[in-house]
Amino acid sequence: MLHIKLSSVMVEDQAKALAFYTDVLGFAKKLDIPVGEYRWITVVAPGRDDLELSLEPNANPAGKAFQQAMFAQGIPLTSFESDDLDAEHARLVAAGVAFTRAPMVAGPVKIAVFADTCGNLIQLHQPL
Amino acid sequence: MLVDGPTFRRLVRGRTLLVSAEHDALSVRQVAARVGLSPSHFIRMFAALFGDTPHQLRTRARLERAKQLLAEGATVTEACVELGFASVGSFSGLFHRRTGAPPSVYRRAVAAPRRAPLVPGCLGLMSEVPAAAPSNSEEAPPP
Repeated sequence: MLHIKLSSVMVEDQAKALAFYTDVLGFAKKLDIPVGEYRWITVVAPGRDDLELSLEPNANPAGKAFQQAMFAQGIPLTSFESDDLDAEHARLVAAGVAFTRAPMVAGPVKIAVFADTCGNLIQLHQPL
Repeated sequence: MLVDGPTFRRLVRGRTLLVSAEHDALSVRQVAARVGLSPSHFIRMFAALFGDTPHQLRTRARLERAKQLLAEGATVTEACVELGFASVGSFSGLFHRRTGAPPSVYRRAVAAPRRAPLVPGCLGLMSEVPAAAPSNSEEAPPP
């Protein structure tokens, strides 16, 4: 049986991305392995490793074009779940994170959108 | 901070101007004026959104163009002139600091036959991870 273990976001600079995704967002580094001029980096939610997020380089021009176009259109590339979105939003704003959408109720969820400083917009959601 | 829709579009437009070779002569202040934001507001919001100041982002974009030119066979001097750097020395120094190798070394490296493609196929990187990599360690193994 297949199971979902890995997802990824493309990032402009892997070292800066690792710092943002751990120090600011609060994820934990799982793997950081040199691969040529890049690194295989994954992060996990603290205390669990059922799903890893890979911070992959956007060095492929096609990847960069996709990433920039989605950003310019205001479209988030993934969504992280929170059980207290308002508190998470306040914490991240205090840490200097820029949001493009403040927390709002959208049907069965509350959502917010922020810039991850690595070239992506990321959504937060909380099931209501 | 909250970046509202109109400001977000101004900042994205600013980024497009900053990374475009065509608008390389515009100063950061002029780019801010073009998109209708005060320089201080532009720089502060830009850094929060993109993780780089306008100047840093432009430098990064110019170095990317330098890499592309060198990969296409341009000499270091040609790349330097094409990108408008004041001198080969300042160009080489910046390139070395940011990429870890002088442009001449980079040029030779990309010109040499390569086992792997120049850019990773994103998740394709996984196939290059050593088989002995521990799956539960928080620390990377020694290279």
